Amino acid sequence: MTVLQVNGASKRFGSLVAIDDVSLTIEPGELRAIIGPNGAGKTTFFNLVSGLFAPTAGSIKFDGRDVTALPPEERVRRGMARTFQITEIFPELPVADNIRVAVEIAAGYRLKPWLGAAARAVVAARVDELLDMGGLSDKSDVRAGALSHGDQRAAEIMMSLALRPRLLMLDEPTAGMGDQETYDIARLIRRLHRQEGLTIMLIEHDMRVVFNLADRIMVLAEGRVLAEGAPQEIADSDKVQAAYLGKAAA
Amino acid sequence: MTQVVLFNVFNGLIVGAFYALMALGLSLILNLSGVINFAHGGFLALGAYLAFTLIPFIGFWGALIVAPLLTAALGLVIERLLIRPLYGGDPLYGLLLTFGLAYIFEDATRFIWGAQSLPFQLPAFLTTSLSSQFFFVTGYRVFMIVIVVAAVGGLFAVLNYTRLGMRIRAGTRDLDTVSTLGVNVRVLRSLNFGIGIYMAGLAGVLAAGLLGLSPTIGANLIMPSFVAIIVGGLGSLLGTLLGGLMIGVASGLAAVYFPSATEAVIYVMMGLVLLIRPRGLLGEEGRVH
Amino acid sequence: MRPARHRARAFDAAVCLLLLFMPFWMGAIGGYTELATRIIVMGLAAMSLNFLLGFTGVLSFGHAAYFGLGAYGAAMAIKYLDAGTLPAIGLGVVVATFAAMAIGALIVRRRGVYFAMVTIAFGQVFYFLAFRWNAVTGGDDGLTGWHRLPINFGFATLDIFGNDKAFYYFALAVFAVSVAAMAKLIDSPFGRSLTAIRENERRARFLGVPVEFHIWLSFVISCLFVSVAGALYALLNNFTDPRALRFDLSGNLVIMAVLGGMRFFWGPLIGAAIFVALQDYVSSHTENWMSVIGLVFVLVVRFFPRGVLGMLRGGAKA
Repeated sequence: MTVLQVNGASKRFGSLVAIDDVSLTIEPGELRAIIGPNGAGKTTFFNLVSGLFAPTAGSIKFDGRDVTALPPEERVRRGMARTFQITEIFPELPVADNIRVAVEIAAGYRLKPWLGAAARAVVAARVDELLDMGGLSDKSDVRAGALSHGDQRAAEIMMSLALRPRLLMLDEPTAGMGDQETYDIARLIRRLHRQEGLTIMLIEHDMRVVFNLADRIMVLAEGRVLAEGAPQEIADSDKVQAAYLGKAAA
Repeated sequence: MTQVVLFNVFNGLIVGAFYALMALGLSLILNLSGVINFAHGGFLALGAYLAFTLIPFIGFWGALIVAPLLTAALGLVIERLLIRPLYGGDPLYGLLLTFGLAYIFEDATRFIWGAQSLPFQLPAFLTTSLSSQFFFVTGYRVFMIVIVVAAVGGLFAVLNYTRLGMRIRAGTRDLDTVSTLGVNVRVLRSLNFGIGIYMAGLAGVLAAGLLGLSPTIGANLIMPSFVAIIVGGLGSLLGTLLGGLMIGVASGLAAVYFPSATEAVIYVMMGLVLLIRPRGLLGEEGRVH
Repeated sequence: MRPARHRARAFDAAVCLLLLFMPFWMGAIGGYTELATRIIVMGLAAMSLNFLLGFTGVLSFGHAAYFGLGAYGAAMAIKYLDAGTLPAIGLGVVVATFAAMAIGALIVRRRGVYFAMVTIAFGQVFYFLAFRWNAVTGGDDGLTGWHRLPINFGFATLDIFGNDKAFYYFALAVFAVSVAAMAKLIDSPFGRSLTAIRENERRARFLGVPVEFHIWLSFVISCLFVSVAGALYALLNNFTDPRALRFDLSGNLVIMAVLGGMRFFWGPLIGAAIFVALQDYVSSHTENWMSVIGLVFVLVVRFFPRGVLGMLRGGAKA
């Protein structure tokens, strides 16, 4: 079944049209990249899909159900997880506790005033598993705010992963990173996609990352869909060359 | 009966005008600096007592001009020394600091001028009644309305037509942008604070003429000012003005029909407004938080 | 990590020992038993406030309302209903908790300084109610003509009225149960979801936490325990008046939490001890105690914003 189906979504802020009639469908197991020049509306589009604010027009279906009117936490509960351009973690808590909060919430424990030994053991095992997957095992006691930029990003992705999402949305996961960190994060994303079979929607500026990872690419410009297709089609498209790649090269 | 009702509506409008004058100053500071100035009532009391002290030397009219200015000057000093270092930090600390200042102000007022109420001398022509039928329309009340209207009008004129005012309004919306445009945000906040405190001082002088002087005069007026801001809508000065007048009239009317609810009625109103319209009457959507 | 945990346990034990023997060492340093009781009662109030302030990151400046409702509820239960001590406390807590549920629902969407402002304003409703409703509340003079009663356990009677040390230990028992419950909650999945909200509301929401509901619950729990303190306070004084509901008490509770260290579990208790002892000392030595208290606020904000425990532990976390 289609994971995400956006139909003619628009968003206006006063007289400014940030998103204009954007439609998109994402199939299970797909890795979709969204690219476009600065101010194209990529993050706004993410915010619409994840429920940070409602679209002015159009609808959003997730797993076949209309979620247009649902608040973000409800969409999360249905399997939509996301990261942000500026990493959103719990800076004063140790890395392990960052993950633990996510694991406990995912397990439906958010209102539990106590936890039995068995449940605690299951949570601890899952936390270890995620720390390991994110390469954070040796930093589990470190205050998350004191981690390197790349590790903070990894921690944020692992927190989202703790939710066992049906769709993982990553907003510029390699922004502001050096080559090594970019490489590590890209490898992590590839692994989540290829080995864990996760469905991923990704906003990314680094074209090496995009063309290496994406199954399909959507290009946004000035709030509209400029082009959509397989990586090769996008690379060959004159429209995209002119509007985006050309500009980036210049 | 109609006369009683009219009297209380009129009275409520005057009280509401006070609330509004005080709440506008609070609102200005809150919107631009993110500080709830709990000491606002203390500044109001200071304005009132300064006027009391000045009247024998420079007369009522002189005091009306000088006392609020002196209050504002002290406000600027306190802002510079104590409040400025807190900008941009956890709002908790600004609240606690001004809360402590409110204690100090009240105690200092009591220490300097005594705990008992003091009479406040008004020019004779202001205390006479203007109409035998509407006995309550004294010259002073009319005069107060004139002054409040002038002050509020002046404030809105400054905000809308002067460079300083436009910068304050812009800073309220987006301080970062204003600062990248080369405006000195620290000076802007200081001046804005000064304007707010000036309004408190002015309200103090007027309140003294109506209510007499007591050290708690400010503390009694600050809560309704909060309510005025919340009812009117955070971030909207026009809303604050409207909120102040509305709660004034509401408590004036309650004084007729439910005397024991004179104070409580404004909080009930606040509850209703928050229930029906969480952002307040004229609050901006983005400011729900 | 390990030694830190041991140190925390040792600190807990030290606090418990000090509290257990407070009526005995209090006299040696110039205090008296009633002062010791006041310290644990205000300590409980400040720790309850801190459940919301320090562990959920939400600033309430109106907790006196629920403290006072607990006080009036207990006092009126004894005066008008001839209730026993425990049912009286129970009634005060129920009344305050319902009020917190209703008002909490109106304000949970506000944040930061605006939340503070709305809580202050709403708190005043109950102040004016107590102030104006003379016939029932005694108005400005307060509710007099009643006193706390000995507790009959069937097999034994605890004379908390005649013996002030007995009342201290009764209050300490209530304190212990309340504080243990809060500690348990803070160290639970629910408590961690609250800390998550404090740390990063957006992240908490995007992990699936309905933030408003959790803040509401935290507010209600915090008010519940503050009303327990309020009920004890009325019992302690055999009296209550509208000042138990007024906003200056709210401010005092906040400064106690900050003074001791709001990021630390025991911080508010330490802040309350300092504040209550200071207030007791200063108000018996000068008329201008308000200025001294005001100065405490200013000094704490300017020089000890992280509180006593924050200073002692340097950069380390609780």
